[in-house]
Amino acid sequence: MRSWIITGLLALILPCGMTLSSLLAQQPSQDLEALEEEAVKQAVALVAPSVVRIETVGGLDRVGQVLTGTAPTTGVVVSADGYVISSAFNFASKPASILVTLADGRRFPAEQVAMDQSKMLTLLKVAGDNLSLTPAQAAPDDGIKVGQWAIALGRTYNSPQPSVSLGIVSAVKRIWGKALQTDAKISPVNYGGPLIDIEGRVLGVLVPLSPQATGQVAGVEWYDSGIGFAIPLADVYAALPRLKLGKDLFPGLMGITVKGRDIYEGQPTIDRVRYGSPAYDAKLKDGDQIVEIDGRKIARHAQILHALGNKYAGDKIVVKVKRGTEELSRDLTLVDKLVPYESAYLGVLPNREAVSAPAVLGVTVRYVFADSPAKQAGIERGDVIVRCQGRDATTSSALLDQISRQRPGDKVKLTVRRGTASREIEVALASIPDTIADDLRAVAVPPGAAPAADKAGPKLGRFEEDMPAHEHKFWAYVPEDYNADHRYSLLVWIHPGRDTMEADITKHWKPLCDEKGIILLAPKAKQPLGWNVDESEFVKDAVELMLEKYAIDKSRVVLHSMTTGGPFAYQLAFKHRDLFHGVNMVQTPLTAPPPDNEPEHRVQFLLYSFANDAQHKATSATATGLRGLKFPVTFRVIEDGATEYPSNYADEMSRWLDTLDRI
Amino acid sequence: MNSIRHKIRKVFVTTAVVLACGVVRAESPATAISTVDQRIVKIFGSGGLKGLYGYSSGFLVSAEGHIVTVWSHVLDEKTVKVILHDGRRFDAVVVGAEPALDLAVLKIDGDEFPHFQLDDSVAAVPGTRVWAFSNMFKVAAGDEPVSVMHGVIAARTNLTARRGVFETPYSGPVYVIDAITNNPGSGGGVVTTRTGELVAMIGKELRNAQSNTWINYAIPIGEIRTAVGEIITGKFTPKTTRPSDDGQPAKPRNYSAFDFGLVLVPDVIVRTPAFVDSLLDDSAAAQAGIKPNDLVLFVNDELIQSCRAFDEALGKLEAGDRLKLVLRRGNGLITVELPVPKKKP
Repeated sequence: MRSWIITGLLALILPCGMTLSSLLAQQPSQDLEALEEEAVKQAVALVAPSVVRIETVGGLDRVGQVLTGTAPTTGVVVSADGYVISSAFNFASKPASILVTLADGRRFPAEQVAMDQSKMLTLLKVAGDNLSLTPAQAAPDDGIKVGQWAIALGRTYNSPQPSVSLGIVSAVKRIWGKALQTDAKISPVNYGGPLIDIEGRVLGVLVPLSPQATGQVAGVEWYDSGIGFAIPLADVYAALPRLKLGKDLFPGLMGITVKGRDIYEGQPTIDRVRYGSPAYDAKLKDGDQIVEIDGRKIARHAQILHALGNKYAGDKIVVKVKRGTEELSRDLTLVDKLVPYESAYLGVLPNREAVSAPAVLGVTVRYVFADSPAKQAGIERGDVIVRCQGRDATTSSALLDQISRQRPGDKVKLTVRRGTASREIEVALASIPDTIADDLRAVAVPPGAAPAADKAGPKLGRFEEDMPAHEHKFWAYVPEDYNADHRYSLLVWIHPGRDTMEADITKHWKPLCDEKGIILLAPKAKQPLGWNVDESEFVKDAVELMLEKYAIDKSRVVLHSMTTGGPFAYQLAFKHRDLFHGVNMVQTPLTAPPPDNEPEHRVQFLLYSFANDAQHKATSATATGLRGLKFPVTFRVIEDGATEYPSNYADEMSRWLDTLDRI
Repeated sequence: MNSIRHKIRKVFVTTAVVLACGVVRAESPATAISTVDQRIVKIFGSGGLKGLYGYSSGFLVSAEGHIVTVWSHVLDEKTVKVILHDGRRFDAVVVGAEPALDLAVLKIDGDEFPHFQLDDSVAAVPGTRVWAFSNMFKVAAGDEPVSVMHGVIAARTNLTARRGVFETPYSGPVYVIDAITNNPGSGGGVVTTRTGELVAMIGKELRNAQSNTWINYAIPIGEIRTAVGEIITGKFTPKTTRPSDDGQPAKPRNYSAFDFGLVLVPDVIVRTPAFVDSLLDDSAAAQAGIKPNDLVLFVNDELIQSCRAFDEALGKLEAGDRLKLVLRRGNGLITVELPVPKKKP
């Protein structure tokens, strides 16, 4: 029968130029593709009864900088009596009421039961009796193979069938073991819907996720990009009993940091154990090498992240560490929140050594803060701190590191040299104060040598430059007598929307830059209206360009902004914590919850608020919130009724900037 | 077996057509692409102002050179340039347009152009594999064929299932495609099956205001077939005039909650849920059993997400309509029907 068809075809088509071989080569593959298409459609039909439509009423219109949708979204039925799992993204707007429309058209109100804050899922319960829904069938977790068909379903369009996007499984165990990755098109159109295999079993529940960021809307920027994520349904079913109890699930934390920046290199060694954390309670110590978690051998930091990625707060783990030659096994119960980290404070400023100065042992004291532990212990300007807690204080950053490992109230032993005499003292450390020293004098910067005539030095004075890779411009001011042997502060001005305030800023800051050794960098937003989230890379690159070209003390790189520029500046500060160590804001409340204070990245805040401005209350709350997280915060209320740039405070700002390397 | 038989029949019919017109109607993916390519044109017109691009795609639908494309600013000039797959250039004139369908028909001079038969177009369902042909981002230069993408039909739906979701004059059924088909210059391209059968015309770039995402859609040929035929034969009269740029039609305010005896909670935020605050004594709403704290979820099957949406929905009512409300009370849904009263002028 078949050969007859082909022969018949040949007879007719050959005169038109088709060759026998091309026809024969295509015929079988074409049938396979048709069969595959049919299989996809059948798999969709099989799962469709478990795919529901979710509509919400009320709620916020934006979360952070992301507009939340009001469009319908999708959910997957996970129990016959009315539990539905969906993406937490769909409820980021905190809707007042939720409606679920079943595949058969029945419509019910629903309530949020609990949220999985680790995998960004929300469990709903449909109200109603004798629902007899069709729970989705999970594909076995270990049978999921990269390369197999993956079909993403959504139920957001006005159409009886679910919407379909066809792709493959791109990876398994992504985002520290939490998610599958697929190249099917994943977007708000199918977030919360199922990713299914070609046999009609559910591989996972579609969610926006980001390897870098957390939060309900993280990862949305990748919609329809060919990078999509799904939480394996088998894992969802495993967590379901706990979610049904109505308590949110959180990522499990143990409270350690690991030495070294490269998470793929070397046996992980504990750098810090957070006070009050599960690791602290289990008496783990800095210097312990982690060799096993829950029976999994650990040889790299990354493996710890893999081992913990799928764990929730409340989960128990067994950690094996090596301490010297000893091997210890400890049981830990993970928690969702750690006690905020607070750095201890001695109360000195280290000397600013010239770049070319030879390294000497010890930290010479440039300034002792009033009422500080150092003052009370009798430390004076010119003293040299040579040892701390029995270790050499080789540099100011080493001393800062040692002090930052203590808590306020802890006592440290210091060896202090004055002239030729050395003495041992014990100092009770305190918290970083919220005052700004008013008698602090700037370090005089000796003028630099003019560059050799045949060599162009770095640009000085006021100049403007393009960042070619970004289609952005910035302007900058570098003191005319710039001295490459001296480390400068870098003040990064993030202008508010609609106004670069270039004249104002130049007027007030140029004299301070010259006097106190500050370089001013002012990136310009692409749109005059204001900053866009994705412009943070440009600012980061501009700052790195300045760090590369000029001698800048990295601990004194500060973001300065006002009103509508503030949210973007806060975002920069928290996104690039290794880059910015100070944040100086005028009348800008935080709009999103800040991350935790981290010992590795000290960020200090100086906030101003106009007493009679509508934002005053929110700005005060920001200061209180940051203090609650134990960030060093100085908060000033400007009572004189002004709402312009507070130029008479510029000198105070520059003094604060000059203390950022305080220990 | 049935499907095989169907296929055989189709092959024979196709082959007969092929022999008759001398153009190869493809049945295999490889030849389908080159066949479709010959029928797609690149259109260059006005643009450049305000960063608007000045190019789009189109497809031939008659041997005499009629070209179907989307109605856009690219056609704002009297003549536009049309370049065929083989590099031949033509000046084209706009012979007609139907803004309500986002449709325009151009004409170039000549005969025996390879073309699609609009009557042979086919329908597709979610999951159908398709190809999309267009000159997106004008990647195809001069004599090169346009770019081809693959994807599946994600859904068949109505573009404006709800008011205000999409800013487009077209409001009929569309195919949504799971590939990023709608790019600058893609409008007027075609979506075909794997075997080159015409399915739909690619629309413009369009944002879904509800989910804040871009949507990739194409207009089924069946929706534009009649209008194209009428434009070509000169019998066409446009059904709508194109709204001017600032021409948001005023929203009707025929009725308000008060007319039914309903008082909602104060509308304080962008999405204040439409909770009933109180009821006027003896009003229709009170008699129908609506109670304070009920939440209005649907007005005549339209989801109500805020007090504002409720006002708009009531504003559209006409005397004599029925007002069907779905309310949430506790964990239950209640349906209430109220007559829409006659209003005194």
